[in-house]
Amino acid sequence: MATSLPPVAIPGQRLGSIVAYSAGPGTHVQQSNIYASIAGPVVVDPAQSKTQTKATLRVSRILSGTPQISPASSAPIKQKPRYNTLPAVDSIVLARVTRVQKRQATVSILVVLDETSATTSDPSKLASDNDNVASILTTAANPENHSSTDELRFQALIRKEDVRAVEKDRVVMDEMFRVGDIVRGSVLSLGDQSFYYLTTARNDLGVVMARSEAGNMMFPISWKEMRDPVTGAGEQRKVARPY
Amino acid sequence: MMADRRRINGPPGGTRPAVFASNLQSGTSATDRAQRQRQPSELRKIFLKTGLIPTASGSSYLEFEPSASLAAARANPKSLIPPSSALKLACTVHGPKPLPRSAAFSPNLVLTTHIKYAPFAARQRKGHIRDASERDLGVHLETALRGAIIAERWPKSGLDITITILEAEDDRWWGSAPDSHDASWGMMNVLAGCITAASAAIADAHIDCLDLVAGGVAALVSDDSASTSTVAPKLMLDTDPAEHRSILSACVVAYMPARDEITELWLKGDSSKASLEDGDDRTGHEALIDGAVDAARGAHAVLAEAVRESLLKTVGQA
Repeated sequence: MATSLPPVAIPGQRLGSIVAYSAGPGTHVQQSNIYASIAGPVVVDPAQSKTQTKATLRVSRILSGTPQISPASSAPIKQKPRYNTLPAVDSIVLARVTRVQKRQATVSILVVLDETSATTSDPSKLASDNDNVASILTTAANPENHSSTDELRFQALIRKEDVRAVEKDRVVMDEMFRVGDIVRGSVLSLGDQSFYYLTTARNDLGVVMARSEAGNMMFPISWKEMRDPVTGAGEQRKVARPY
Repeated sequence: MMADRRRINGPPGGTRPAVFASNLQSGTSATDRAQRQRQPSELRKIFLKTGLIPTASGSSYLEFEPSASLAAARANPKSLIPPSSALKLACTVHGPKPLPRSAAFSPNLVLTTHIKYAPFAARQRKGHIRDASERDLGVHLETALRGAIIAERWPKSGLDITITILEAEDDRWWGSAPDSHDASWGMMNVLAGCITAASAAIADAHIDCLDLVAGGVAALVSDDSASTSTVAPKLMLDTDPAEHRSILSACVVAYMPARDEITELWLKGDSSKASLEDGDDRTGHEALIDGAVDAARGAHAVLAEAVRESLLKTVGQA
């Protein structure tokens, strides 16, 4: 058995046998051995009680100083292989609306949130895990930065029937999203060659940041309305439940 | 034709005063040809550093140690023409990023490689448009990397690898007249360097790969002065073409030591006349490939250390 694991691994480095561990993200298996496939700190996630018997070995993409064992202690995390920072099915993303049409809204994905940070309810934890989320959002919410970087981001569609869970046939896209809004969504599928498909049909999904017609940041007042603090005017949105 | 028809253009390759071989044979010390000072199995030192280009998702810079004659000429210049050159190149990795709208759906990572010589990289100036040899190198590099990258972990995305060669290897000593054994031998060293550098940059970009793939070169050379064609050529690792009178054949491999796999193999020339040690019953090209793999193992040691060093630095900062 691999008695000592290296603290950090480089691609191609042998980490252990699949007898002792199961292979997690950042690793691959060759001839019953687990090898690292990216460079990073080696993390051992202890076995979850029922489903697994072996500890999961993974190579972390986040280069934090101390490999944290915390994801195992914060209880009910779905053990889903998440290999990379690309949007995968069921991952939670933050996206900016770039176009609103009658049947669908086009958004460009800004951040794919980590599973660990998405399940915690503490926004400060979220900021520390994805340390650039705050900066990405501030630059993305600024109208000057629109349109220039869209070609470099992954594009996604929110179809009319995926906006909310109830009264799907009464959805009017113009009353759900406006161009420039920041939306929290969940990935439905990888979609076709050019678009991912997102859904906001959950209470915690929808618009998280929006500016009013006057250009001020608005605050949510209900699940379908946000208000401008300066002019006092309300605007309709599909609002995400604030934490 | 890409030529500019509206202006009177200079010659495409630049000009140099004619240097006659007969003048060179007389042997003033300034025009001594470069001599290999290393053992046949001794490699040049490699400088490799990752993460130097902040705007790219991964990057690396690679430099080969200048040959002894070049180092001597730099320390104590006797001629304006350097006796040999040493490889210097920079590699950037951009991505994973969305594929262009026009591209078809791909469940895998789409790899694109660009290799470009800087105009001043070789003794013969290169144009700004990629020529056939640069495209050829790009294809070889793509083959080498495709076998190492785990492409199915990055669906619907593309990866651009761009290499700029700042100083290329010579194809032969600059003073010798072209002869029948000439081929672009320098290109093979350039490719080996490109493979090693690209591998470091990919590791820096955190793209999943099976192993760090390293490039290595070996060649059969006959260095004997003056008409001793009876002596069979010898196997040398990491050959600098400027240091050898004639290279008969050369081989580049891209090699993954952890799996003992070759992802790219490029053999050139006639490898039938190798003189190996007694009891060594390998054929010439087997010896050549083994030699190139040995050279790649050496490069891998540097590569692994460079990747580990940059990793420890980032972990230490966080």
